[in-house]
Order: sequence, then structure tokens, then C-alpha cells
Amino acid sequence: MLRQVAISCLIAALALPALARTRPHYGGTLRVEVEGDPWQRPGGLARSLVLDGLTTMSPEGTAQPALAVEWKSENDDHRWQFRLRPGVHFHDGTSLNSSGVVASLTAVCGAACPWTAMHAVGSSVVFTSDSPIANLPELLAGDDYRIALAGAGNPETAPIGTGPFQFKGFSNGVITLAANDNCWQGRPFLDAVEMRIHRPIRDQWLDLSVGRADLVEVPAEQMRQAHDQRLTVVASPPALLLALAVSDTGALANPNLRAAIALSVDRSALSNVIFQKQGEITASLLPAEVTGYAFLFPTDRDLGKAHELRGGAAPPLLTLAVEGGAAMQLAAQRIALNLRDAGFNIQVAAAATPQHIDLTLRRFQLESNQPQPALESILRAAGLAVPVPQSTPEELYKIERQVLDTHMLIPLLYLPRAYGVGGRVRDLRLSLDGTPQLANVSLSDAQPEVTP
Amino acid sequence: MTPRSGLRRVSKIAVLILLVAGWFRSAAAASSPWEQPAAALAEQIAAILGPGQAHLIIRNNSQISTDEIPAIRAFLEQDLKARSIQASGAESANIIRVTLSENFRERLWVAEIVEGNETRLAMIRLQAGAEQPQAMIGGLTLRNQSIFTTIQPVLAALEIGNDLVLVESEEIVIYAHSTDGWKQQTLVGIGQRKPLPRDPGPLFYLPRAGQGSGAGVAGMSCQGATQPTKDWSIHCRESDDPWLLTPPQSTQRGASADMNIQLTPLRAFYNSARDYFTGVVTPSIGADLPPFYTAVLLPRSDGGGLLLNGIDGKVMFAEGGALKPVTGARDWVSDFATLDSGCGPGIQIVASGSGEAIADSLRAYDLPALEAIPASAPLTMDGTVTALWTAPDNKSIFVVVRKTAAPAHAETYEVDRVTASCN
Repeated sequence: MLRQVAISCLIAALALPALARTRPHYGGTLRVEVEGDPWQRPGGLARSLVLDGLTTMSPEGTAQPALAVEWKSENDDHRWQFRLRPGVHFHDGTSLNSSGVVASLTAVCGAACPWTAMHAVGSSVVFTSDSPIANLPELLAGDDYRIALAGAGNPETAPIGTGPFQFKGFSNGVITLAANDNCWQGRPFLDAVEMRIHRPIRDQWLDLSVGRADLVEVPAEQMRQAHDQRLTVVASPPALLLALAVSDTGALANPNLRAAIALSVDRSALSNVIFQKQGEITASLLPAEVTGYAFLFPTDRDLGKAHELRGGAAPPLLTLAVEGGAAMQLAAQRIALNLRDAGFNIQVAAAATPQHIDLTLRRFQLESNQPQPALESILRAAGLAVPVPQSTPEELYKIERQVLDTHMLIPLLYLPRAYGVGGRVRDLRLSLDGTPQLANVSLSDAQPEVTP
Repeated sequence: MTPRSGLRRVSKIAVLILLVAGWFRSAAAASSPWEQPAAALAEQIAAILGPGQAHLIIRNNSQISTDEIPAIRAFLEQDLKARSIQASGAESANIIRVTLSENFRERLWVAEIVEGNETRLAMIRLQAGAEQPQAMIGGLTLRNQSIFTTIQPVLAALEIGNDLVLVESEEIVIYAHSTDGWKQQTLVGIGQRKPLPRDPGPLFYLPRAGQGSGAGVAGMSCQGATQPTKDWSIHCRESDDPWLLTPPQSTQRGASADMNIQLTPLRAFYNSARDYFTGVVTPSIGADLPPFYTAVLLPRSDGGGLLLNGIDGKVMFAEGGALKPVTGARDWVSDFATLDSGCGPGIQIVASGSGEAIADSLRAYDLPALEAIPASAPLTMDGTVTALWTAPDNKSIFVVVRKTAAPAHAETYEVDRVTASCN
């Protein structure tokens, strides 16, 4: 598995024109194209450029200071205190303070926050919780908890943050972000990022090939095609978990039926046919790179046992919904075929369908490469709020085993996030969740500005 | 020789061979990184399985070389046997399936203990790659010694006499060495008004001791005492004056032991908004210099010159009014410094390398005939090298390394002194 990561990194290294090892140049405008909404949560690219979190994840997978410079837990992780970085300003000049952070986080999650209460105390923010939150610093590094200036801007399309870029405008389908000269992390090298949104992948690649774009998306299922077309591709380690969320009500209230579904899916076919061997087959919620024990969850299809568990009677018609685009639709069709092989009667429907959904094919973002916060965020996103304390690998395995034995979440594949990169882009890195770190990117043809 | 005495002799030799073999095995075991983890895993297995027989299967899902597996198996069998578990054939009802796995942080050895329909687990964690010995390459070995750690971002550091001068983003702090460690002696605000650029590496200079001390941070210039004394006096002002690249009237040892080079103080104009020297230097050295990030004076047998790292990534050497390319410097990042190691040609260039890696490294290079040839193995710095600077005596280098410290969660800056010893 690690070899695959190494290969991914190698691909990334080869992809980057980093051979001229020099300090980066300042200046220039990076042209990015995306298929979806760059403000969406989690993982929206524009969000990551405009908004910072209290913490951020280091490449080693630990929480490190961002808007908070230090933190401490008390009372067995029931109380956490985060001290804010002094001298930080929002893009409109407003000073970052603890009450602003409380207001921002309250707006984000309200009553559904992982903590019970949150208070501004001087230059610190104090979180308290009825149950211990051992991983709060790592959780706060997640995309959901980025800090925006409450009550200003449009939080969904033009938030005001403290990040390296600030929103400047939107016209003709292009979001313009300008460098934040006063960024607490230092001004980014780029002067601006122009982000063309809702651009089909085919058009993105065309724009990259004729030099109209510098950074475009490469879905996992099209990575091979991108290589064939000689695109320079930068790929992340596994970042997206493809999984079936299974309802425990209605026809699938019977746990044996859910177990039969888990045994019916042919993960290899999904990986080979739909995702062009770019996925990593998994029956574990966390990838092997994160835990080292993923092999303990067998991925093999066992139709015989599935038939046995299903019993003689065929269940009523099941509905399988899909979140995502064409590849996800194809994957859902493939899964439906697998389930029919096991004697299930199933139809594929759009996620927005009003009828009862028995199964949903979903993508979950891997938000950390530390197993505890990563597992907790996936479970939270799946609506299975199981606390994951700091634990040994054995204890973590037991928690994961316990969740998976309910068969309410059936992991299928881990997919990378990948991007096609133009020749003038330098020093592009992807964060753990596969988001491009554009604040450190520079352009090889940027013209140095003359000092006044 | 009688048959009996011959037998005795053979027995003695056999015993000797066994003793020697045993000694070798003990010696191998003592140096093996697998002995302790194998024992720990065997202990957990024994606690689950109890005395008896089991079929031992080992699977390698890690980057451990397959050559190492027999040794690991031997350790496991020996440790299980010591706990009354005999490794047996496939016919055994009990199976111990050991998977040598790993994640990106550490190795994980997992034992699945199968008794009938029941499978129980044991896991142990090992530090990844700790068993890798460091190779000795080239004519010298670099060693680093941590001398100071702080949570404040350090832009530059220099030890002058008993004092440690730290240039931080907003202040210059002088620490004095005492029996209790470093004690803060003086703190002077720089009065920095502009936010620092993202890449603050070149935004400082600290001329060598004995000729005055100074520092520049994004449009500010600070000057310290001419000679380090107990009473430091530092004054900062806004300035776009050219920065001092080389100290006035400095004398450096040349590549030939008897050669000394008198150097004229050289100043360079700095683009404080964009982190580089413009290429305009005063007085002129006869060659048109490109914009550059770093420049050091490098004595050579036929004189001396200025080694510089252009903003286009090319390393050039300016001497005799001409600008010549340096080859073999492809792995260099933009920072380098000279080190008078006394090994080989005497003076090496130490360059930071591998911006792609999580941990940067330093490596020494000789520069004969304008080709950079590695003179040492890379020295991993366990963090990101943000600045390096030659010490006043030229015998060591001061390095600032940015680290993320666990479990305090805080980012720390460590000042290291890097020295060289000849191989």
C-alpha cells in the first residue's frame, strides 16, 4: 500500500516542474477550472483559500497551529482551551477575536457541533463537552470548521476570512480571488486565482492543453485517460471513500440482509471497470496507509454466503440512491447488478428521489491521516456519531469492527484526488484530503515586480 | 593420535564452532532491530493462546526486505518456544498468522490467532525505518547539535562569543550563555511595519562577527555593536539601502593553506517585496549578475568569487569579471553557506536540499572545476530548514529548522549548529 503512495508521490514529483529548485517567484494569476461548486463543504477549493481553521493538519497528520497558536485540554478532554493567534485580521480589516470565532463556529454547526458549549474567554475559545473529545484539535482542522467573519459577506458564496486569498468578484462564471497582502502566514506568491466554475471535465482538459487553464480536475476514473492524453497529473494518496450507506429500517431492518448485501458487492469489478484500477479496494473505513490493519477486513465477494444469509424469500424492491456524477451512477448500476446476482430486487434512483431509500452510494472525504479523527469524521458524516477516543490500534480496530458489523456502512473503494497541471505551475502540493495548496504555488513565468 | 584423542579434539572443535556460532548469533541478535518486537508479539500471543502447538504463518505487507523475514521468523519461533508454544506444521488446529504491516507513521505487526472458529488479535507497533543505518558518503560527515528552541519564528541565528543572536520577525533577541543555559539579555523591537512575505528565508543578514552585526527584515535595517560586548546596542531604521553581502576587510582562508584573500565589502540591492537581490551590487564586480536569492564568497585556488543562486534556479559563479554556470547543483534549494571543514579541499558548500520531502536535509559539496560534487551524506534535519548561515569562525553553520513538536502541538523553531568531521 505504501508503495502505491510512494508511486503517487513520485507521480506528483514528476509532474511538478520543480527541477529548477529555486525560491518561488511572486506574481501572476493562476487559472483554475472546477466542475462543481468551489464553496461547497467539505473540500471546496475556494473555501480552503479564503478561510482558515483554528488548527490545520501537518503532513505528518497531527494538528498544528493555525488561527490558534496553542491549546490544552483539561478534565480528561471534557474541556479544551484554544488561544488565538494575536494580530490576525479578516480580509475587511476586522481583528480576529474569540467572540468572532465563537460566532463563526456557532453559525457552522449550531446544535450539531461535537462540543456541548463554547465560550469566548479573553483571547481564548473554550470548548466544553459532556463526553470527552480527545481529537478536538484534529477535528477543528476539518473543512467544516473554518472561520468566517459572521454577519458579513455571503457565507455561502463570498465569505470573509483570514486566508491567503480574498474574494474579489464573480462574473461570467469566474470567481476572482486576490492575494491577501496582510495574510498572517505571509502573502501568497500568486497575485490572484481565477476560478472558472461548473466547467465540464472535457472542456477543462481542452483549456489546459491550449494554455487557457493552469489547473484542472482529473476524476479518478479518468486518470488513465489523462495519462494517455499526456496531461501532467498530480494525484493524492487515497482521499475519498466510496461506500454504501445502508438503512436499518424498512426492508433492511434485518441485519442478515445487510450482511448479505456487504458480501454481494464485487469491489474488484468496480475498481477495474468503473474506476480504471485507480481505486484501492477496501472493506475498512480507513485506508491501510492510515491504520496498517485494513487487511483484517476481507474484501472478497461471497455470493454463496450472501444467498445463505438472505434466506429463501426475496425481499421487496430495494431502492439504491446515488450521490455524485456519471461515474457514481455507473458504479451504482454495477452494484445493482451484483445485488441482483445475490437474489435482491433492486432499482437505482437519484439521491433526491422522495421515496424511501434503502441504500445510498456515497463519497466520504478522508479529512485526516490520523486514524482517530479520520474515523470520527467519516462516522459523523455518515450520521453514525460514535465517539472515537484516543486509542491503541487494537482498540481502534474494535471500534471499526463494531461499526462495520452493523453493515450500515459498507466501504468499497478508496479513490485519490487528482489534478492536471500546466507547465508554468510550480511547487503544487496536495493537502491530506487532496485539496491543492495554492498559497504556496508560484508561476515560473511570473514577472518579478520592481521595487518602488 | 589415538581415536579417543581425535574424538576429543573433534568434540573440542565442535564445541568451539558452536560457541563461536552462538556468539555470532547473540551478536546478531543484539544488533537486530527485530528481536525486541518479536519478543513483545510472542508474549501477547502466548497470553492469548497459552502453551501448545500452532502453525506459524508470516506475511509481509511492509517494506521490510524479504531477506529479513527468516530472521524475524527465527526470533518469533524462539520467543514462542520460550513461552511453551511450539511452531508446528500445517496440520495443527491452531494457526498464528503474523502480518508484518505498516502505516505511514509506523510499522504494525498483527498476529491473528486462530483457534477453531475463533480468531483473536494481537498487535504491536514499531518505529518505521529505525533500523536503517546511515551511509557514510564522501570525505566528511555532517553532524548537528541543537542549541536553542523557541516557539517564536526565528529568521536567523548566530552565536557570537558567549551570545546567541536571534532575528525574529519583530525583534532581535540576544541571549547570553550561563550555567543555567541561555538567558535573555537584550530584546530590541525591529519596528517592522509590513507583513512578512511567505518565504522569509533571505530577508536577513548577519555579517560575520568582529566587523559589526546587522540584520535586515523587509525594508528595515538594524545595526548592532561593532564588537560583541555585554552591553549590546542595537538600532533599527527603515531602509532600502543595499544590504551588506560580505563583511568589510574580511579575511578568509583560501583553498591553499597559505593563501589569504582580501575582500572588499560588497553590497547588494534587495527587493524586499519579492524576496530577492536584484543583481545590482556595489561596487561592481565586473560581471552583470542576474537577480539572485543567495550569494556567498567562495575562495578558490586561483582567487575567489561570488557563488550565487539565481531566481531562475541556476547556480552561478562570478569571478574575474565573468559569470560561469555551476553544474551538479540541481538538488540545491535556494539556501547555502560555506563551511571551512579542513577536509578535502578545505572549504565546502553546504546546501539545503529536497523541498519535496517532509524533512529537509543538508549536504556538503566540493566545488572543483565549477562542478558540485557531494562531499557528505545528506544530514536529515527532522523539519524544514528555513535559514542557514556560516558561523563567524567559518568552522560551523547555524541552521534554523522549523519543527512541529508533539505532544505540545506547537510549531517550534530550533537553532542547530552543524559541524563537519573528516572521514
